[in-house]
Amino acid sequence: MFAYIEKIKEISNRLLKESTVDLIIGFRKGTVPMMNEPCFAKTPEAVDGLVWDSNCGINLANYLANRKEKIGIVSKGCDSRNIVTHIIENKIKRDQVVIIGVPCKGMIDRHKIEAMFDTEIEAVTEADGRLNIKGDGVDTAIDKKDVLQQNCTICTHRNPVIYDELAADLVEEQTDVDKYEDIRRIEDMTPEEKWEYFEDLLSTCIRCYACRNACPLCYCPTCFVDESQPQWVGKSQNPTDIRTFHFLRAYHCAGRCTDCGACERACPMGIKVRILTKKLEKDCLELFDWESGLTLEKRPPLDTYRPDDPDDFIK
Amino acid sequence: MSNWEPKIVSFLCNWCSYGAADLAGVSRMEYPPNIRVIRIPCTGRMSPKFILAAFRQGADGVWVSG
Amino acid sequence: MGIEPGRLHFSWISSAESVKFVDVVKETVEAVKALGPNNNFIKTTAKVA
Repeated sequence: MFAYIEKIKEISNRLLKESTVDLIIGFRKGTVPMMNEPCFAKTPEAVDGLVWDSNCGINLANYLANRKEKIGIVSKGCDSRNIVTHIIENKIKRDQVVIIGVPCKGMIDRHKIEAMFDTEIEAVTEADGRLNIKGDGVDTAIDKKDVLQQNCTICTHRNPVIYDELAADLVEEQTDVDKYEDIRRIEDMTPEEKWEYFEDLLSTCIRCYACRNACPLCYCPTCFVDESQPQWVGKSQNPTDIRTFHFLRAYHCAGRCTDCGACERACPMGIKVRILTKKLEKDCLELFDWESGLTLEKRPPLDTYRPDDPDDFIK
Repeated sequence: MSNWEPKIVSFLCNWCSYGAADLAGVSRMEYPPNIRVIRIPCTGRMSPKFILAAFRQGADGVWVSG
Repeated sequence: MGIEPGRLHFSWISSAESVKFVDVVKETVEAVKALGPNNNFIKTTAKVA
């Protein structure tokens, strides 16, 4: 990990010194363990604070939309796919960003680690795929691969898809992963079972909109939940409103979502919100042969028409 | 229960199905009275929001027709 | 998502196809009738007098 950090710092300093970019978006250590925070570095001192480890799950592409300055951005596989989506959607220009690609081996899920121990975790350090967990009366090591975010375990695009600089050698991509096992299980349910399932899934939602705020796709100036005329969704903790919010948000991400897991990571209640976006991701793959954020050449399925688009659902 | 009739919210495109509905009316054709027609300027105006909004407000079915 | 597939219908009818229009209306009403009333996804609000 140290090699990564040194290389990121070196590239960042060079880009800033040559005035190729006005700022670098990267990660610095957060105030609590397992929570790195995004950092906008404009000076060499700020660059010194940049880090890279397995707690960089936040999707930095979120901070690019509508920016005017030239930006260097630290970007793992999923971030880079979201940058592609941003460029396609004209949220940022390609020549405005210098992408510092960071091949990624998965981010850890702090919910999983917190659930393993009764006490508060005070420090987590990592070395060679092992994590050392320290807390009150706890000092133990676990395998990193056991506590990866679920989307990282099934990720097939660990390397950035576009980049200008590279912080390390490309890593081997995972193949033979069954991405949609859980989605297929839900698809096989009867309508009643599905209703129960989603009731249960979303029952703990507190409508904090953390998922929306963490999502790089959710850049609408006014989100549909905040619109009051017409009011699509009520403001209260009503189960129907909660459902409407989650379903509509998922639909807005159809054909755009890269399954980066930022929403699920941000959820304070640990709701598996990715189930909804993943179903649409699966549909896009099966119906339109589309995986979002892989190329700048093609337009996404929802804004193109092809005569062979599937239309069996129309009478 | 036996005399329950469904309420179906229909979103009809101004140029296609709305025209067809008009023609059906002009031709004095009979069809079930369960549909509540909402005219939209084009089926391209359709959004998932509309469908969910209809169900939220108690529609038994939704029909979108271009 | 817990709404029966038969509750949501899509069709494509030209403005000249009034016969098809009537057929589709009948078909749709039959399909929804067969499913019975929709109880899910309705937002119940307190009635304000």
